[in-house]
Amino acid sequence: MTALTTGPALSPVTGRRWSLGIAGAVALAAVLLMVVAAAWPALLAPGDPDAIDPRAAFTAPGPGHWFGTDESGRDVFTRVIHGTRQSLGIGAAATAIGVSIGLAIGMLAGLGPRILDSALSRVIEVLFSLPSLVLALLLVAVMGTGVTPTLVAVGLATAPGYARILRSQVRSVASSAYVEAARLEGQPALRVFGRHIAPNALWPLVAIATLGVGQAIVWVAALSFLGLGALPPSPEWGAMVNGGRVYLVRAWWLTLAPGLAITLTAAALTVLGRRLGRVVQA
Amino acid sequence: MLAARRALTRRRAALAALVPVLVLASCASDPAESASTTPRDGGTLVYATGDAEPSCLDPHVGGNYPQALISTHVLEPLVGRDADGEILPWLATAWEVSPDALTWDFTLADDVAFTDGTPFDAEAVKVNVAHLQDPATGSSTGYLALAKVAEVEVVDATHARFHLSEPDSALLESLSQQWTAIQSPAGIARGTEANCAAPVGTGPFVVESWTPQQQVDLVRNDDYTTVAPEAEHAGPAYLDRIVWRFIPDAATRYAALQSGEVHVIDNPQPDAVASAQAGGDITDIDAPRPGSVNRIELNSGQAPFDDVRVREAFIRAADVDPGIETLYAGTVTRSYSPLSSSEPLATSDDSLFGTDTDAANALLDAAGWTARDGDGYRTKDGARLTLRFPVSTNQSVAAEQSLFEQIQANARSVGFEVVITPLDLSGWYGALAADEYEIVSAPYTKVGPDVLRILYHSDGIIPAPSGYFANHAKITDPALDDALDRAAATTDPAERAALYAQAQQTVLEGFYLLPLYDQQNHFLSRGTTGIRTLHTVSTPTFLDTRLAS
Repeated sequence: MTALTTGPALSPVTGRRWSLGIAGAVALAAVLLMVVAAAWPALLAPGDPDAIDPRAAFTAPGPGHWFGTDESGRDVFTRVIHGTRQSLGIGAAATAIGVSIGLAIGMLAGLGPRILDSALSRVIEVLFSLPSLVLALLLVAVMGTGVTPTLVAVGLATAPGYARILRSQVRSVASSAYVEAARLEGQPALRVFGRHIAPNALWPLVAIATLGVGQAIVWVAALSFLGLGALPPSPEWGAMVNGGRVYLVRAWWLTLAPGLAITLTAAALTVLGRRLGRVVQA
Repeated sequence: MLAARRALTRRRAALAALVPVLVLASCASDPAESASTTPRDGGTLVYATGDAEPSCLDPHVGGNYPQALISTHVLEPLVGRDADGEILPWLATAWEVSPDALTWDFTLADDVAFTDGTPFDAEAVKVNVAHLQDPATGSSTGYLALAKVAEVEVVDATHARFHLSEPDSALLESLSQQWTAIQSPAGIARGTEANCAAPVGTGPFVVESWTPQQQVDLVRNDDYTTVAPEAEHAGPAYLDRIVWRFIPDAATRYAALQSGEVHVIDNPQPDAVASAQAGGDITDIDAPRPGSVNRIELNSGQAPFDDVRVREAFIRAADVDPGIETLYAGTVTRSYSPLSSSEPLATSDDSLFGTDTDAANALLDAAGWTARDGDGYRTKDGARLTLRFPVSTNQSVAAEQSLFEQIQANARSVGFEVVITPLDLSGWYGALAADEYEIVSAPYTKVGPDVLRILYHSDGIIPAPSGYFANHAKITDPALDDALDRAAATTDPAERAALYAQAQQTVLEGFYLLPLYDQQNHFLSRGTTGIRTLHTVSTPTFLDTRLAS
């Protein structure tokens, strides 16, 4: 959100400072580690996340089981690592859906005729009147539970936000001096769009989308926590927190481990997103 | 004391005047009552249930356990039952059966009225049976229980005569259940909607209001005159009100009990039961439900479980013992019978349920499920060996759902793909009605071994008016049908026992079900005295309950 509130980027794409700072670098490293965990989970945790061993149930964290075991004796560390693909993947996919739809609506509203702009703006405002998570719940109620509906629901629920940001971004870039200069030079409209408007309008979206992935992961986890998302025995983090909640007093690690994973992922993506936002403005 | 009270009940009219005296005497001599916390009269008891919220409070409609739980306070059946299975008088004070076992004469209590002022009489009994048998009511449990009642004849106000279409050795057991409890004819006449919102009975409490998804408010029936079986005092209840709250989450429910926000909870987690059993100020009431054991049923009506070898393979691979031991913290015992351990006629055969993955693999190979797909699941003619498992989240505790996940993991090791789908109650009924299941866990509570007929007779595949059918395993076995029919009709106890033993063996040997353990039915209470559970469907009654001051 920082990128939006501090104003649109008005300078052309030249001479960016590619410095993330220490916090940004750490966040980037954490995100890369999660990408590795999502792509090749067996590198970090070679075990089977669904392998049960009832006789070893509720083992406390320690050597052998870093994050302990759950009520069926499954290794929580292995499950958290293997859950990365699903949690991160759903978050990224949901954001991709949200950004794509937001992109289409935002571009049309920002560059299209005035009537289209006001019509689309009203639609965005109506969708904005519902909090995004409530909108996502509504969509899940209509489409049914499961991973795909959750993903689509979170994607659709976040789309109005992206659309609004993009619309104002596109409008301010389109009315900036360098775009006007390009127009006055007689460059064709498509070239002006491709060379000047699109890059400058889209670049801030990278930062916002990075923030958005973190947010989407939290929402997907929230829906799974409510039993509306991933199905058992999937090691999706929200579903794991939900499953462990019953044993909170007896085995705190069942909720702590996936809860930490959600928090760290969301925090890393947020820090990274903000740093990227600053890079944009530099 | 018990014998004395039963004799009293039978000759209630003559001895009614003595009742208060006896009760006072028993209170004064009971040391438990004079303990450090003196119980007081009046007050509001808060009960938190984890069972599903009924869509209708009238237990005639549909007929499930949550309805029985609430209606126990509001409606009373014709007869009761003691711990040994003997039938006790309740709204009916005496009964007699004709030699051909086709006519039953019931003598009814003559000084009881419904809470709307309608008198309780033979006409009310007739109206209730007609209500249960009317397809428009949408009854399943009560409808099935009274399937053999052809007609109720009103002899006079206090005498009702039941004419049966065929002999029914389970009639009294069927009539002792909350699902056949007697309601006010005037209440029934208001129509389904009004009667669902607030059924009217003769019980110690009256439904005052129902706030959906939140609570049902019950107030004391000050004019309560029924002499209930095993009651410790005569006349109205001690409590002023009951607030019946719906708290689906087990941890929240237990926390509410610990904080004193509620007095009684049901469906506690196994570790809460274990710690209550270890002592402290929380009391555990263990009341296993009668009827079926908690088991997983295999749908033999369609592929792949229409092949007995595939059924046996699943059962040999499930390996539930280690999970039952750890998940239930040692509070339950493994069952190898279709019937609850509380049924005297239950028979077991543990030789059929040993875990053997080699045998399971061999059986699946023999059944033609030889190929494996990329995920390691077995396939046959391109179709994956998938078992759909709809799970009602309202009806099963977390430990049970974890056990199902373990079964899923164990079955995977021999090539089964088990797809567990958590559903709310209506979604779950929908999945069963649409035949979208291969395995299902659906405990059935009924008093007596006649539950076997409901669950495994081929008639049980035909849906009741509510759309529910009880034979989830879809067993169609003429020899089994015959044994169950004869057991239900015979008047010879030895023959009845032999036939039910034969039926149970058939069901077990056909690998139609995987018995797990008794239907767990624990109630935890704190700051109360005098809670007891009925020996019919094991629901708690608060007639004698008082709050600690």
